[in-house]
Amino acid sequence: MIRINLIKLNMMILFLLYPLIGHGLERDKIIVNNKGIPLSQAMVQVDKYPPVVAGSSGEVHMAQLNSGDSVLVFALGYESRHLSWDEWEKAEVIVLKEKEGELNEVVVSATRTDRTIEDLPMPVTVIGNQAIQETGAVRLSEVLSEHTGLQIVSNHGTGLQMQGLDTDYILILLDGEPLIGRTAGTFDLNRISVSNIEKIEILKGPASAIYGSEAMAGVVNIITKSGGQGKKIDLGMRQRSLNTWNPYLDFGLREKNWNIDVLYDYYKTDGYDLSPEVTGYTQNPYSSHSGQVKLGAKLGTGLSFNLFLRGYTEEASGVLEVIENSGTELLDVTDQRDEININPTLRYKPNNAWLFTLRNMSSVFTTNSLSKYQEEGTVFDIQDFRQFYQRTELQTDYQFDKKQLISLGLGFSGESVEATRYDDKNHFDATYFYLQHQWDPSDKVNIVTGARGDFHSVYGNRLSPKLSGQYRFSDKFSWQVSIGSGFKAPDFRQLLLNFNNASAGYYVFGAKLAEDGLADLEAKGLVARRLIQPENLGELQAEHSWAINTGVRWKPVTSLLIKANLFRNDLQNMIETAPIAQLVSGQNAFSYFNISRVVTQGLDLDVSFKYNDNFSVSAGYAFLDTRDLDVMDQIAKGNMFKKDANNQTVRLSKADYGGLFNRSKHSGNLKVNYLENRTGINWALRLICRGQFGFSDLNGNLILDDEAEYAPGWYTINLTSTKSFSNGIFLEAGVNNLLDKTSITQPNMPGRLLFVGIKIPLLNL
Amino acid sequence: MKNLSMFMSFSLAIFVLMACDPEPEEEPQLPLVAEMVEDLSAPNDVIDRSTGQVLEEKPFQYYSLSENRVTTEDESWDVAFKGTTIRANAAKNVSAALVDGVFQQIKEIPETATFAMDTETTLAIPTGSGNGWYSYNPTTHAIKPIPGKVILLQTSSGNYAKVEILSYYKGNPSDEELDPLTAEGATYTFQYVLQPNGTTKFE
Repeated sequence: MIRINLIKLNMMILFLLYPLIGHGLERDKIIVNNKGIPLSQAMVQVDKYPPVVAGSSGEVHMAQLNSGDSVLVFALGYESRHLSWDEWEKAEVIVLKEKEGELNEVVVSATRTDRTIEDLPMPVTVIGNQAIQETGAVRLSEVLSEHTGLQIVSNHGTGLQMQGLDTDYILILLDGEPLIGRTAGTFDLNRISVSNIEKIEILKGPASAIYGSEAMAGVVNIITKSGGQGKKIDLGMRQRSLNTWNPYLDFGLREKNWNIDVLYDYYKTDGYDLSPEVTGYTQNPYSSHSGQVKLGAKLGTGLSFNLFLRGYTEEASGVLEVIENSGTELLDVTDQRDEININPTLRYKPNNAWLFTLRNMSSVFTTNSLSKYQEEGTVFDIQDFRQFYQRTELQTDYQFDKKQLISLGLGFSGESVEATRYDDKNHFDATYFYLQHQWDPSDKVNIVTGARGDFHSVYGNRLSPKLSGQYRFSDKFSWQVSIGSGFKAPDFRQLLLNFNNASAGYYVFGAKLAEDGLADLEAKGLVARRLIQPENLGELQAEHSWAINTGVRWKPVTSLLIKANLFRNDLQNMIETAPIAQLVSGQNAFSYFNISRVVTQGLDLDVSFKYNDNFSVSAGYAFLDTRDLDVMDQIAKGNMFKKDANNQTVRLSKADYGGLFNRSKHSGNLKVNYLENRTGINWALRLICRGQFGFSDLNGNLILDDEAEYAPGWYTINLTSTKSFSNGIFLEAGVNNLLDKTSITQPNMPGRLLFVGIKIPLLNL
Repeated sequence: MKNLSMFMSFSLAIFVLMACDPEPEEEPQLPLVAEMVEDLSAPNDVIDRSTGQVLEEKPFQYYSLSENRVTTEDESWDVAFKGTTIRANAAKNVSAALVDGVFQQIKEIPETATFAMDTETTLAIPTGSGNGWYSYNPTTHAIKPIPGKVILLQTSSGNYAKVEILSYYKGNPSDEELDPLTAEGATYTFQYVLQPNGTTKFE
């Protein structure tokens, strides 16, 4: 069996499906899946002759085949079928059954080629369409929050935490291309609507060897829907508590040589307030529109073109309280966010051994924040931010032989930012290459070796290697090890910020501006004393890490799957602010430096059990241990202290130290699925928990070391019921946070949310 | 009640008499006691929050350790407080150093302590969150003395003292009691030990 397979690559994208009936010449066979969709990636092997690949509509010409005794029909992600020659001759349509179970999911983000999870030597999770539906989620954060080892963190938006690392270190891809636009490092997951997500790939551990910067903790790849046959128009509407409305329209059209998918999604919510005694909402009311177009066209033999377009616009409004000299004043705040993505891709596949992919992506992300005095209506503050990102990349895949696939990528990217808090329009350029070798030396072994070099105009060069290997002891048990390096480039803020907090009297300069900024302050006579020599200013290196992941996948019986992964990330050069000068006012000027070192390590464990087609249970547990190594050093030297109950100082021991804030040592989930036959209703009950976690320093030493500094553990119970009718109408109803728990330590969790939804496939009715 | 105050007056009288004893070799070696100063209010200047301009300048609160009281600028003060800023009296050659340690366990001035005097532009006790004696938590907006930060002073008469700031808020609230948004700040509670005999030891 060939596991590494380039052949399907372009077909997967094209999926140019036209109606089955009436196609195929005399004596041709057509290979389809159990939904009747032709399998263009299927292969037919007679005896030991080389396999023959099915055409774009799943057809296999008899003339291509040698005659023989037995025929093997197979395709990635499908159960293989053995036929005798007689059976093969008689058959017109051969149906391959889709393999069941998560391990057979095809994953693209791990290697940038298609491989099933069972062949990937690194920890990968796929959240499929079914699982997404069962969460009743409308925004991406809600889907991710129910998965082992993922935490949702609220800080300048709803971010993700993975392997104990924050959202700054997680690369978010949409259909394989990176999404830009972060606020203080956070990529706000609420920008992504769930209505047209087909599946989500989650790759844990560093992936800088392919993706470069940001892919330090891992990668989340959101794959949007495309496929189906002919024409479809789906109309959906979801309504939930907090006056939240989410209507959407999903249109798809497939012709012989081209296809198009269009999505429009509107979202509106009234928001919520977990601390009414404080002015302003926890989540401000907002509304958003997202539109997406996916276009595919077959231009000629082996040549195809795809275009991905996405637009997003969001407007939020709220109230803010400021303390002015005359007393407190109320401000009306309007926040606008817009995003545009244009990603064209050209693929050329001259033969079965070569595939060339030319990708381009252009993204614009803008934010505008306007605050006005509520009474006078005059402007208090305007903040603008505009980021432009452009990238062109050529990936060449070469199937060296049945067991080896080599991928080489070359790319160029440019990025610029204009913002109120930056001096000028600022521009970065980078070139990069990545090289990857996938090798199956035997049926039992998979090895993926890769490295990426990044050459950046501002922070310098970086090489990120990664080596992953898998050994299969049997069909039931496999072991994976992966060692890799990750990095995160300093962002615009860290390099170019020019910020003056007038009320508090301090200044923050990006590393590149620190020298000029200080000189400027000195000229104004504001600097009392420099704390850092000029030669130590301005050099900011990328943050980087080494990580090891090792895990097992064990299927003791068909109905039971156990996955475990142990990880450790060693991060160095973490960027933090430090004072660079004392000002005559007694305040400081700050800049960014590579100072801190952090370790995160832990275990993710998932057990899923499918009792029968109607009933399944899964449980997940994550253990996480994090620490700042510099704090550990200080404790070892006896230089860290706390206050006891009597406000007396005592020396800290290592046992007192609780690691990084906002990390739960223990977290987990339990999910029960039950399909009730009589009504056809599918019930999904989930319990999501996280143990206590450090919330905030209270005793002044700025580290987590006291019982009072922990937020208590938290759990939520969610229940969803769904029903699909034979004409394709889909109904859902459910409740999230059934017990109506709220806490200001869980700002992303409003109280109990009831929801209903319907999806109507207009053309099926 | 009357009896009690009479007793106290009597004790005080004895104490004063003993302290005035003209024969030093007769003086009993009293253990040094930490003095506690509570709720010394030292509000910061009023600053225009949009421009950073000082609208109303507030005075420093001057403190004499040997006299254990608030003084005026013209008198012999050792340290002065305003907002989060702590000055040492350079005019009287008071110098200061900041060291890490448990206040009670600091039995003598460590050799590594580097004493400095305030100048026109720098302070011996640095200001700013995390630099000197306090940290500011941007989440809770609390200003907390950094545990284990001890200020060492050499007063104008050459005597050494150790000072620990215990609270920046009125009433020295515990971590649980403190609400930084409503508590009255710039109100110092601190403890100190002054060694009057000129040695570097605090025993």
